[in-house]
Amino acid sequence: MSDDYSHLIGHRFPGGTVTIPGWVDFLWRDAVLAEPGGEAVHPGLAYLAAVQGSGVTFQDIFDLAEATAESGPMFGEQTLTFEGALRTDTEYAVEGEITDVVRKQGRRAGTFDMLTFELRLRAPGGALVATNVNTFIFPRATGEPA
Amino acid sequence: MRISEVRVGTELEPFVVDGVSAEKMKLMAALLHDPNPIHLDPEAVRGLGMGDRVVNQGPANQAYLVNMLLRFAGDPAAVRRVTVRFLGNVFAGDRVECRGRVTEVDEGAGTVTVEVEETVDGSPVMAGTAVVALPA
Repeated sequence: MSDDYSHLIGHRFPGGTVTIPGWVDFLWRDAVLAEPGGEAVHPGLAYLAAVQGSGVTFQDIFDLAEATAESGPMFGEQTLTFEGALRTDTEYAVEGEITDVVRKQGRRAGTFDMLTFELRLRAPGGALVATNVNTFIFPRATGEPA
Repeated sequence: MRISEVRVGTELEPFVVDGVSAEKMKLMAALLHDPNPIHLDPEAVRGLGMGDRVVNQGPANQAYLVNMLLRFAGDPAAVRRVTVRFLGNVFAGDRVECRGRVTEVDEGAGTVTVEVEETVDGSPVMAGTAVVALPA
């Protein structure tokens, strides 16, 4: 088993398209205690839309990192950047790739890998609407895949 | 809120979750297609030595901060950038408090930069910055 996952840098996701139905925005707002919206979706939904349209699941990312959901992967950082609001019932193209993987050692946290990936949502016509950069933390037991 | 009404140091109205719901976590897990059992099963949380309450999803914690920004700006299109670091877990039943303070006003660009922080019992669980557009 590898203790270096830097070969994943540049790994491109299949990509695809995503449409956010109004009812998904409704349920998201219900889950995060947001006020009701209109055609513009809750900005936090850009994360869900990007992941769903990227052609990968959490499990796929866990598999790439040779981790399991039970090993306790966590969010490290997230940046959402918007050129405009995402709209319900609009089809967006999604593209993205893994941009960084770094192994770190913490006194309390032990060994862990930080995997960063970027996803971009483009409107019909190709204009960039939102960029989503996420860093996951994968705890590793004694330097081996968790 | 207009940009002329904002100064460096202006505090945003806090967004408070008075007891994070385990039921909402189930909804989030379904929406996110997130199989991580720490959001669903207290036994899984115990197994990891993290206590006996399920753990809220990171995107939900981030969304609470976004809710505060939406109230401040009044328009989803006004949120231009949100960068957060996840510093700690939020557990079912926790009281979450989101706060924000303006650190920069760019009247030319029509944007303000806000330092944001989310805490549980005073301990930070998320921190970062946001850029929000405001009308003149």
